[in-house]
Amino acid sequence: MNENAILTVEALSVTLDAVQILRNVSFTVKQGEALAVIGPNGAGKTSLFRALLGLIPYEGSVRWRAGTRIEYVPQRFSVERSAPITALEFCLLKSPGFWRPPAAFVDHVHDEIALMGLDRGILKKNLGELSGGQTQRLLIAWALLQQPGVLLLDEPTAGVDAGFEDTIYSLIRRIQAERGTTVLLISHDLSVVYRYAKDVLCLNTSVICQGSPQDVLNPAGLAALYGDTGYYRHDPNVKH
Amino acid sequence: MHSSHHASFWIAVLVGIASGSIGPFILLRRMALVGDALSHVALPGIALALLYRVDPFYGVIVFLTVAAVLIFWLEGNSRLPPDAIVGLLFTASLAVGILIIPNGDIIESLFGAFPVLSLSFLLVILCVATVLSVLCFVFARRFLFRIVSPDLASVHGLGRKYDLALLLIFAMTVALGIKLVGTLLMGALTIIPAAVAKNVARSMRGYVVVSALLGGAISVGGMWMADAFRLLPGPSIVLFGVGLFVLSLIIGLKRAV
Repeated sequence: MNENAILTVEALSVTLDAVQILRNVSFTVKQGEALAVIGPNGAGKTSLFRALLGLIPYEGSVRWRAGTRIEYVPQRFSVERSAPITALEFCLLKSPGFWRPPAAFVDHVHDEIALMGLDRGILKKNLGELSGGQTQRLLIAWALLQQPGVLLLDEPTAGVDAGFEDTIYSLIRRIQAERGTTVLLISHDLSVVYRYAKDVLCLNTSVICQGSPQDVLNPAGLAALYGDTGYYRHDPNVKH
Repeated sequence: MHSSHHASFWIAVLVGIASGSIGPFILLRRMALVGDALSHVALPGIALALLYRVDPFYGVIVFLTVAAVLIFWLEGNSRLPPDAIVGLLFTASLAVGILIIPNGDIIESLFGAFPVLSLSFLLVILCVATVLSVLCFVFARRFLFRIVSPDLASVHGLGRKYDLALLLIFAMTVALGIKLVGTLLMGALTIIPAAVAKNVARSMRGYVVVSALLGGAISVGGMWMADAFRLLPGPSIVLFGVGLFVLSLIIGLKRAV
């Protein structure tokens, strides 16, 4: 295992219901790095994350550096909107005390939501009352509680308008710089990937290409990933 | 009230609280109907116990535990929607139960009665009901974590065993109340307090507390109604609870306006 690597994946394959989702995927992620995973719909991006987290069975090896705290921001909750769960209680899911949370933990919650630009008042609101942008910020603040070493973000800006999107990525970058957090990110937005990721993994069942955004996000690379027709032509000057 | 009614009163309070404590988690897992149907499985258990001259309570415990494990397994392994399977299977077990249960015991098994119990048996029921309520509060965070996001919960080391724990607590609670409320309606007792509390609660912690208190209140209120008007306790408790639900709906709507 590479000295610097926080994650080493070798020959990872995932088969669900006799359908091959991932085939022979290998890559490494260095500590403090920002890796973006891109690929068309159904390419296995979310399955890759779920395998890395041990949530689905896989073949091959996934090795995290020992003692690494991993946090995950999924695309959606499974809880209904009418459930009377407050944003604070959502945070308390990570607290040592749910009924009588320690003051230090509640202070920590206040700090993290402030970092994500959220007001304390939202902690009293129910999860279903939050806007899309507030929910995404809360999810990331939640993920940052207890200082994880690695953050896995599955389309963290899905359903958020463009202004919010930039804010969220700036915040993620700031956290990365200040805390040395390693970030793995699934995104559909190539302009975001271009600006925020240092390394890109192009996935379509198997790894199509890997490298810096400058090397990978060119017409030839994208054609290989998304197919020749109708691929997402990237122009760094155009904001998608 | 004679002694049987005293016993019933205490069962109503403590089993009611246990039902109210587990109810919110069952409701948020969208298992209200599954939970309701689960109590029907107790009927063949009662029938077999009567056939072999054992206390029906043991038949109920065995059948409900098996049913809880079955639901757990179906959730994890079946591609078919669990509610469809549960609906079929549990209704079938109700039919089987009705066919083999002696005629004289049918009404009591279906709708409950003021039970005649030995003191030691009563104490066991009361102690177990208390333990089940306490477990709901102790495991509240873990149960809620699994409900909000099974994936996130697993990442945090809370695996499916907590889903099983929730179902087993639920099955035990149903088993405790069946003598009083009956197999047809006991499932409803676990759902009604939670349904009422959901209309008025502003937070999850408030939700569980209010639901637990309402569980006790609805059971006792229904018992009082049954006693006063010489009705069966099961239907009285359920109707009393449904009345409160309608009231809470009106309060909830007024607040929303």
